[in-house]
Amino acid sequence: MQPTSSMKEEFLKKWQMGLQIYRPLIDNTSVSERRKAIKLSADVAMASLRKGTTCWSRALIQKTATEDNFLVRQMLSGIKAETLINKKLPKVMCHRKIVRRSKKILRRRQSRSAIEEVAAKARKLVKKKTQGLRNVVPGGEFMSNDVLLIQETLDYIVSLQTQVNVMRSIVDAAEAGSERTAYYLGKLKFAIEDG
Amino acid sequence: MDLSGRFGARSGDGVPFREAAALESLHIGGGEEFRQMVPPENAGGFAALLELPPTQAVELLHSSSSSASQATTLHSLGTLSFPSNPLLMERASRFSVIATDNQQNGNVSGETTTTSSVPSNEHIKTEPAETETCDQAAVEKQSNRCGKRKELDKKVKSSTKKKNKSSEENEKLPYVHVRARRGQATDSHSLAERARREKINARMKLLQELVPGCDKIQGTALVLDEIINHVQSLQRQVEMLSMRLASVNPRIDFNLDTILASENGSLMDGSFNGATMQLAWPLQVMETEQSYHHRQLQQPPSQQWPFDGLNQPVWGREENQDHGNDHNNLMVGSTSLHPNQVKMEL
Repeated sequence: MQPTSSMKEEFLKKWQMGLQIYRPLIDNTSVSERRKAIKLSADVAMASLRKGTTCWSRALIQKTATEDNFLVRQMLSGIKAETLINKKLPKVMCHRKIVRRSKKILRRRQSRSAIEEVAAKARKLVKKKTQGLRNVVPGGEFMSNDVLLIQETLDYIVSLQTQVNVMRSIVDAAEAGSERTAYYLGKLKFAIEDG
Repeated sequence: MDLSGRFGARSGDGVPFREAAALESLHIGGGEEFRQMVPPENAGGFAALLELPPTQAVELLHSSSSSASQATTLHSLGTLSFPSNPLLMERASRFSVIATDNQQNGNVSGETTTTSSVPSNEHIKTEPAETETCDQAAVEKQSNRCGKRKELDKKVKSSTKKKNKSSEENEKLPYVHVRARRGQATDSHSLAERARREKINARMKLLQELVPGCDKIQGTALVLDEIINHVQSLQRQVEMLSMRLASVNPRIDFNLDTILASENGSLMDGSFNGATMQLAWPLQVMETEQSYHHRQLQQPPSQQWPFDGLNQPVWGREENQDHGNDHNNLMVGSTSLHPNQVKMEL
């Protein structure tokens, strides 16, 4: 599934809505603050496309809510904002030391045949990778099973691609605009000097 | 000998046929001592053959492997669909599993393990197709059987880990119909686990198609690696783009976006093409620049905004401040524009 144009449109609209909230604050900002504002509004726009159906979108909204509560509240319609922000996702806490110790004990009792060892190593590797994936995908730690994780990853990748596409086209246009300014400036100077 | 008569009728009768076949093989291949040994264990039949000490079984099989009838014997064994004796079924299944393993056959013979409660009837059609693989398997079986007896159990385990198509999953129904493969446990736990694994594999395939360059990779861990890299690169791209956008003159991005927002509100046709917007902006764009704008717009296909038309007014205002009144008529027309005016004109 590739990003569709309707998705891009919606994303753009929401993103602009978010950027407008920052408009009164333009003057005081440094580059980094503007960047943060842009990124946050883009993230919330991307997450709001899914309207709270997916786990990653909820987690992303919560994450940005910790940074800028006001923005999130403004960007989402009232009811949803309340539920999404206030709800605490169930945390899957695992005390790593204890888990490691118990795994060691279990391992001592297991039989060791050549094939099983290889399979066990492969399984360990896969588990490590899935843990890495959980770290990357927002809200990954809260996804209890692998099926859900992979589904969310799929959706997240598609949304990320729409976000990147739209942002890239805007940035290109904006930068092209600045080039054209240089072009026109040059033309102006020429015209002024000549005529 | 009436055994030969029975042997001629290759129609999948079940246990007695098997026994006949086994006896027949003994008859053809071996000497007297074998025949004497086997009949008392006739109740097990084929199973009895398996009970033999390995060396003798090897000799037996080697001697019988040359004859064509052996192939047909095993072929007929393969065509049996629902044998009654579970024990025989187990043994036969293990052997056939071994054979298909060695052949790297994609199709595992899809005969069910015989707990009668389990098998679903959806796959009856696939069985005739799979008997063909049994033919090939059958001939191989004999030569392979010798060295592999001791590794029976391990082969079974490895076959359980193989990804095969014989279990199907219907996601629309509330119940998931999974067919147990040969030599596999059929309790609900392993079935559920297998269904879950199939789901994961299906999703992973989708992911592989989505992420570029993942099709060629074999193995879950590497694919996951690629996926992680892809997601991270996308996230980094978002950061870079927001940085670039922020470093552009701030008035641009925020103003442009307000203009665009108003414009988007009015132009809800759906097509995001610059074409529609170009139609909306002929007033604002000067003649000399219109061709330029059109050229600019056509160049980058991904970018379809008449930002050029939008940039003009904004930059025009700035130029106004910088250069006072030394204006070309390039700028004159555009300086009269104001974002609010733009909105009204829309």
